[in-house]
Amino acid sequence: MRDHLVFYVNGTRHTVRGSQAAVTLSDYLRNGITPRLPGTKVACAEGDCGACTVLVGKPSADGNGFEYQTIDACIAFVYQLDCCHLLTVEGLQHDTELSDVQAAMVDCHGSQCGYCTPGFVMALHGLVEQRTCDNKLTDDELRLGLSGNLCRCTGYAQILDAGHELNPSTRVGAASHFDTKAMLADFAAIDAGPVLVNAGSTPEVFLPATLEELLARRAARPSATLVAGATDLGVQHNHGKISPSDILVTMGVKELDQLEVTDNELIIGAAVSWSRIEAYVRDRVPEYYQILTRFGSPQVRHAGTLIGNLANASPIADSIPFHYVAGSTLTLASVGGRREVAIEQFYLGYKQLDLRPDEVIVSVRTPLPTANEHLKLYKISKRRDMDISTVTAAFWLEIEEGIIRSARIASGGVGPMVVRLPRAEVLLSGEPLTLEVMRAAGCVAREEISPISDVRGSANYRRQLVENLFVKCFYDLSSNLQPVEV
Amino acid sequence: MPSVGKPLPHDSAVGHVTGSAQYVDDLPRREGELHIDFVGAPITSGCVRSIDLTVARAVPGVVCLLTHNDLSGPNHFGPILSDEPFLVEGEISYLGQPIVVIGAESAAAAKQACQLVQLECEERVAVLTIDEALQAESFIGPKQRMTSPAAEDDDAFASALRDAPHTLSGRFYSNGQEQFYFETQAALAEPGEAKTIKIISSTQNPTEAQAVVAEALGLGLHQVVCECPRMGGGFGGKETQSSLTAVMAAMVAQHTGRPARLVLDRGVDMRITGKRHAYQTDYHIAFDRQGRLLAAQFDYYSNGGAFADLSTSIMDRTLFHAENAYHIPRLRLTGQVCRTNLPPNTAFRGFGGPQAIAVIESCLQEIAQVVGRDAFDVRRLNLYRDGDPQQSVTQYGQIVRDHMLEEIFDQLADSSDYRQRMAAVDEFNRTSPTQVKGIAISAVKFGIAFTTKFLNQANALVNVYTDGTVQVSTGGTEMGQGLNTKIRQLVADEFGLAPECVRMMTTSTEKNHNTSPTAASAGTDLNGAAALHACRQIIDRMKQYAADLFSADIKDIRLEEGFVFDQRHSSHRHAFGEFCAMARRERVDLGARGFFITPGIDYNPDTGRGSPFFYFTTGAAVAEVTIDRFTGELQCDRADLLMDVGRMINPGVDRGQVIGGFIQGVGWVTDEQLRYDDTGQLLSTGPTTYKIPNITDLPRTLNINFIDNPKHQINIRQSKAVGEPPLMLGLAVWLAARHAVSSVANGQRFDLAIPATSEELLMTLTKIST
Repeated sequence: MRDHLVFYVNGTRHTVRGSQAAVTLSDYLRNGITPRLPGTKVACAEGDCGACTVLVGKPSADGNGFEYQTIDACIAFVYQLDCCHLLTVEGLQHDTELSDVQAAMVDCHGSQCGYCTPGFVMALHGLVEQRTCDNKLTDDELRLGLSGNLCRCTGYAQILDAGHELNPSTRVGAASHFDTKAMLADFAAIDAGPVLVNAGSTPEVFLPATLEELLARRAARPSATLVAGATDLGVQHNHGKISPSDILVTMGVKELDQLEVTDNELIIGAAVSWSRIEAYVRDRVPEYYQILTRFGSPQVRHAGTLIGNLANASPIADSIPFHYVAGSTLTLASVGGRREVAIEQFYLGYKQLDLRPDEVIVSVRTPLPTANEHLKLYKISKRRDMDISTVTAAFWLEIEEGIIRSARIASGGVGPMVVRLPRAEVLLSGEPLTLEVMRAAGCVAREEISPISDVRGSANYRRQLVENLFVKCFYDLSSNLQPVEV
Repeated sequence: MPSVGKPLPHDSAVGHVTGSAQYVDDLPRREGELHIDFVGAPITSGCVRSIDLTVARAVPGVVCLLTHNDLSGPNHFGPILSDEPFLVEGEISYLGQPIVVIGAESAAAAKQACQLVQLECEERVAVLTIDEALQAESFIGPKQRMTSPAAEDDDAFASALRDAPHTLSGRFYSNGQEQFYFETQAALAEPGEAKTIKIISSTQNPTEAQAVVAEALGLGLHQVVCECPRMGGGFGGKETQSSLTAVMAAMVAQHTGRPARLVLDRGVDMRITGKRHAYQTDYHIAFDRQGRLLAAQFDYYSNGGAFADLSTSIMDRTLFHAENAYHIPRLRLTGQVCRTNLPPNTAFRGFGGPQAIAVIESCLQEIAQVVGRDAFDVRRLNLYRDGDPQQSVTQYGQIVRDHMLEEIFDQLADSSDYRQRMAAVDEFNRTSPTQVKGIAISAVKFGIAFTTKFLNQANALVNVYTDGTVQVSTGGTEMGQGLNTKIRQLVADEFGLAPECVRMMTTSTEKNHNTSPTAASAGTDLNGAAALHACRQIIDRMKQYAADLFSADIKDIRLEEGFVFDQRHSSHRHAFGEFCAMARRERVDLGARGFFITPGIDYNPDTGRGSPFFYFTTGAAVAEVTIDRFTGELQCDRADLLMDVGRMINPGVDRGQVIGGFIQGVGWVTDEQLRYDDTGQLLSTGPTTYKIPNITDLPRTLNINFIDNPKHQINIRQSKAVGEPPLMLGLAVWLAARHAVSSVANGQRFDLAIPATSEELLMTLTKIST
């Protein structure tokens, strides 16, 4: 079994052994290597500003190159880089020539203090790297694509100007000046996995290649931390909220890579990142897609997974209300076999899961709305993008000829767990879809939740939001349906 | 080709985009460098009974543990009152106040030692809010007063308020704001020979850092050098508060003889450093049926935190900006800084101006509603009028002159389609059940100069080398605002050189001493002028030498396009560098130190009369917002800004300052919310919980324009300061939100605080519609 990680940074081969495998990527770049690469800045250490944005290249499916995506280096760990090519801001210049992004940022006054600038440069590179057509980036694409990067100086307009300058049809790839073929050949020649780094010390880092290896290790090390994208783990780590434990990484496991629709059910495997889901559901479940574009940030969605979000079990997890009202089912596996559990039964209390120490989540299966079933999802946060929800809500209404045949409604941020709102659901069933009915249901709903006041909002505000979202849902559905006017 | 007026890229732009521009934490690790951590007060108010360091001292890798006893100098500092201890000495004044400084071989060892320091504390009831401070009569400094001549008579003033056709009274709240500079407070201290210390600090104020470190360490100023290569943002937050970090680093360096570096974690930085002051203002304002302002009284209370810092000076600026761009014939102002158990609040872009301007702009919005006129017209009516003696004198007696306020309003009304869009907003609000829109204009008139007279000075050092290149050093610090870029352009033009021939050097107290902070928007005004003064001394000597060399009249010597020549004889010319080499051989001094003091500033704080400002930077903005009636979510659809910033030295830099300042102001009035728990602990301690504007919050349509002002003939190259003023135009967004809410208020009065978060908006909408 391989006992070290192999990856490239700006074309240079890195071999990592021992505990260094478990330091954050930003710490590794800035302090862990010689020469240091301090161009990657850390301004928040919680994945919420994007100053540390780097490009991670993973071998493409066709084996001809790398596909580069942005992640936040401050909340990623070195062990996530195995067999990748990492590009940092120091690696963008061809000889001494600025890259097109760098030149545009200079010309358009895209930097002021400069501290967030490397992150924006990498994020812009990420946007054009992923571009499949030759058209220039639109304003929307730039805004959403850069929503994971904060800037305190510029007010962003001149960064947008720089983005509009870029011409995908004439540009060369950010990594084109590196011998990526040689790197791929190198990766092909080394032992694919599993990998066990820092064996015998804490933390041991295990990267299984198959589900069998994952389950065996899970059974043998039930206290090990299961890691997918590490986007929450990295934050906890930086805040000193977790003690070191062994690490078990799910992302390389082929069997967890499932992403498909079968029999009108969406199946998402544990190793599928948010950004892949986002692309996949864009046309298939537009309502889900809308919420996903506001989940975390592009960087977080490139790394994080739905299953990680579900397992993390936050009452304000953006994904959970949808899966509640859709009636999703989780498939769990252990060395002893598989079992299925309905998502609502999966949550036992605040961050309490029906998941045995030897089990892992393999996938989640989600029925999709049929013609009469109407889905509306809401995320209310202080700031529209890159913010944690104050309140979330999901409405799944089966409507026939203006009559609500059945209703499933869930809300988050209103108690220790995401909850269904059964009294409101009962009130709606059999009633016509009218403003008055929805308003009445909202009034009932606000009384069946138990929100708290915290940094994101007061309990009163949360109650008011839940009440109002019923009315908002009415108007949103009315624009698609012919409601019964009263 | 002259470069002034051209949008040259930022001096460090290539360094920024390649990651090679270094900040304190990026600088190479020094040999033997120590990590620093510190133990902060575990309680908000009270005192330390005992400090036990024995367990912490035993942690492997710990090199020193220092308390106030280890300071060689006095344990107090502060830019105005010197009332703040470096390290807790008995009294605890705010949560997290540094008590023990630890130097260690590794960050982990320092952190571990922190956790093992044992403190015994005695807790007292904390004062956290302005109301609590008023109750406890807990104040910093005396109540400040300013009264316009026509408001001096008590009876006349009382009757002006009483007999006016209309009056409004109320209380206005604006919350604080975190600077959120991207680079946190950071300093590296290096001990040198003969007890000297060099500090590399992320500071807007190297002279203050030098002075404070020297005092704390018991050294002479000549034994301390402070350098600042650049900052990753400052916004006022590094005007005074960078000193504490510098002192902690310097203490460790002094006690261990080893280099030491301290870079604050974001959470620590947000918890223990000061912010924009929260204000509470009681207002009484009288106006006629047209909405013309007749008299007003504003009583401002600011939450100063535990120590004076700059709070009294910030309150000065509040009083100077009470009326903003509007003439109020009778004005009475008071300002009281409240002492509370929060970290001392400090400078933040605007420096007390935004809090004052918010009140008068909010009043005008409400006045328009009372008199049933468009708020644009009410504002337009009350603007200072250039050349009209009845409508151009401030409450402190300075004449507001050579401005374009009325032209700005008229031009902006046209370019923003204000009238048509107001009608469209009204129509939208009549028909939309789901959203409500608002549109508003706001103005800014911001006084340029330090209101503390002596700070209006600067010096600069210019070295011309024999290859024709130039190094420029000033006391100004670069925090992203483009100061160095502008000075480089000014100097290049002065010598007739390309900007590439001029290099701006690291700011250091070794080269420029007794400097003022880079603040008050005046960085280029002061340091640029000082640099030009130095250039002109050198040029005089060069011209004298050239006149001798060419046997020409000195009047005919020109420095242009990289040449020194006699304009009457085209053959009498030398390339600039070649000429400099020749000049040196003839023992011509090619270096000079320049000095500048701002002319015409004369304000008497005892009488409250005079001219504290050199000139005013002005502008206005129209903003339109849409608010979701069910969630309170606000979106700014469009903003149009029009500013008079004189002749721009660098339009690219100035445009960046305008947009950046505006968006920062929008953050203050919308999403940026500092939340504390009952014990005074800050809950919003990072970008996860403290929401500065995101790129998706940028208005979909954003028009930035500048008005030509031929009347403005003063200041360097007829430019104007631009750093702070646009921040206050962010208020247009808040006013538009207020306008939106008023459209469903059916004439009811309502209060709206700053920031108008979704919650504030929804709860206000809910209250007035039930």
